[in-house]
Amino acid sequence: MSKIDTIISQLDAISKNPRKAMEDFKAKTGKGAVGVLPIYAPEEIVYATGYLPMGIWGATKKQILKATSNLPAFACSIMQSIMELEINGTYDDLAAVVISSPCDTLKCFGQKWKGKSPVIQFAHSQNRDMEASNIYMVGEYAHVREELEKVLGVTITDDAINAAIEVYNENRAIMRMFSDVAAMYPQIITPKKRHAVIKARFFMDKAEHTKLVRELITELLQQPVVPFKGKKVVLTGIQAEPDELLDIFEEFGIAVVADDLAQESRQFRTDVPAGSDPLYRLAKQWQNVTACALAIDRDKPRGKFIADLVKEHGADAVIVCMMKFCDPEEYDYPILLEDFEKANNIKNLKIEIDQQSESLEQVRTRVQSFVEMLG
Amino acid sequence: MHVLGLDVGSASSKVVILDENKNIVSSSVFQVGTGSSGPARALDEALGKLSLSLDDMEKIVATGYGRYAFERADKQISEISCHAKGIFHLIPTARTIIDIGGQDAKAIRLDGSGMVSQFFMNDKCAAGTGRFLEVMARVLEISIDELEEYDSKATEVVNVSSTCTVFAESEVISHLSNNVPKENIIAGIHASVASKACGLAYRTGLEDDIVMSGGVAQNAGVVRAISRELRRPVIVAPNPQIAGALGAALFAYDEAKKH
Repeated sequence: MSKIDTIISQLDAISKNPRKAMEDFKAKTGKGAVGVLPIYAPEEIVYATGYLPMGIWGATKKQILKATSNLPAFACSIMQSIMELEINGTYDDLAAVVISSPCDTLKCFGQKWKGKSPVIQFAHSQNRDMEASNIYMVGEYAHVREELEKVLGVTITDDAINAAIEVYNENRAIMRMFSDVAAMYPQIITPKKRHAVIKARFFMDKAEHTKLVRELITELLQQPVVPFKGKKVVLTGIQAEPDELLDIFEEFGIAVVADDLAQESRQFRTDVPAGSDPLYRLAKQWQNVTACALAIDRDKPRGKFIADLVKEHGADAVIVCMMKFCDPEEYDYPILLEDFEKANNIKNLKIEIDQQSESLEQVRTRVQSFVEMLG
Repeated sequence: MHVLGLDVGSASSKVVILDENKNIVSSSVFQVGTGSSGPARALDEALGKLSLSLDDMEKIVATGYGRYAFERADKQISEISCHAKGIFHLIPTARTIIDIGGQDAKAIRLDGSGMVSQFFMNDKCAAGTGRFLEVMARVLEISIDELEEYDSKATEVVNVSSTCTVFAESEVISHLSNNVPKENIIAGIHASVASKACGLAYRTGLEDDIVMSGGVAQNAGVVRAISRELRRPVIVAPNPQIAGALGAALFAYDEAKKH
């Protein structure tokens, strides 16, 4: 097995078995893990405690039985599967869970958490472009910090958070580089492998993730760049799962050259700004978030942002991975369509994302039709 | 030379055979689709009319939901591309296609050369599809072929939900128990299908000519409802149920001519 394959299979194994990743971390450090729900959270504060921040983004093909008693049918499949897993006690090993409130479902989630772990909920500001936003966010993050200190019985110093921010910024930088390098090697970094490398960062120490991805990039850059005969796309949406969906992309010769997915690039698009007050730095990062359905932006720059990604990466088209029942994303879609048309009529395809979906035949038809349309 | 297009849908199986001059020399439709005896029976009938076998076909292209289940196909092409090809061949002025089949509804935008420039499909939901009409016909205790006739006698269009087949079914039962005439309920059912299809069609930009294909296009009540919603004339493709199979046969023809 080549070094590239070895690193990718290591990251893939972590992305597919978060529980083992958590247990390995516990065995190594003697500390536990704190769950972090989508979309944006001050993970650095968790990292500063020495606990492992674990991304909680649902589970694919999880049969939903009990969650329906606690959520309406029109809650998205990420929330449905998280609810099912918390009722089943899957998250009870977590020392705490941190929940943000960017959508109606998440807003109520902390109140109805069915697991045993203590819940720490916070809310992002809506009017992000004013200084008052930063003051408010510092207050929210101070609350997260205090609650974590209480629940975990630790003291979280400013220095520890600042050090965590540096670890995270380094990871963000390496992930942006990985995304660009992966686009140069679509024959090696298939959509599924790209996703696994990115997803693994939710379940491991970011410093270790950075080290592995850096090694992967070094190995990749030693490979010859070969012309790609398939179609290059930019993905947008909340997430592009399950893996079978990414297999369909590969089957029809599609490479992902960039993304605007909440689970992927939106997590590392910008660095946390420099400064001395760590909570203020994290607050400023919320102002950095742009082109996201969950962060209010009066100028609605997302369409143009994606169009720029298409241009920058020489992509043939955009695939909109529409999370079923995600109303913030649904509201953005008509605006995106108009923006794509304005931007030289960028070809685009909408596919429905449902973590519980067992049959992807309709998606296969759409993707095949789309590739045929692109010619 | 003969080429064959096979459209294995979710609810029906269709075959078209073309000759050297792209004339349809045989076709067949069976109202059972993928996973059934439909594809084999449709093939037997279409080939039987010409006393030919699959071995006599220069090229075979399969399309539809069950396109990968037919191993003898030289190529599988999506139903979007096949419907576009078939409709543009029949009606070269077509720029917007509304195709409603057994479990899918699609709106397709064509450019002047008949190439697909955009398309939209229904989400994973039976509302607005042929399956929706089947469910409603069963509740109303009439055959699916009678829907059109009842619709033509409607005096009013009652409200029927387009959000969900199951909810719509209970609405229809409620209308029946309130003694609402079946004719008016059926007009409401057709309007419900139309609103789903038009939701997709509006996104294409709606350039004329607007052409309907697929099995549901045979129901004039749905066509009227769509035309009413769009406030535009809607052309029904000749023999609309075989448009996809015709497109597949035309792709097979192109393949045959390549070699």
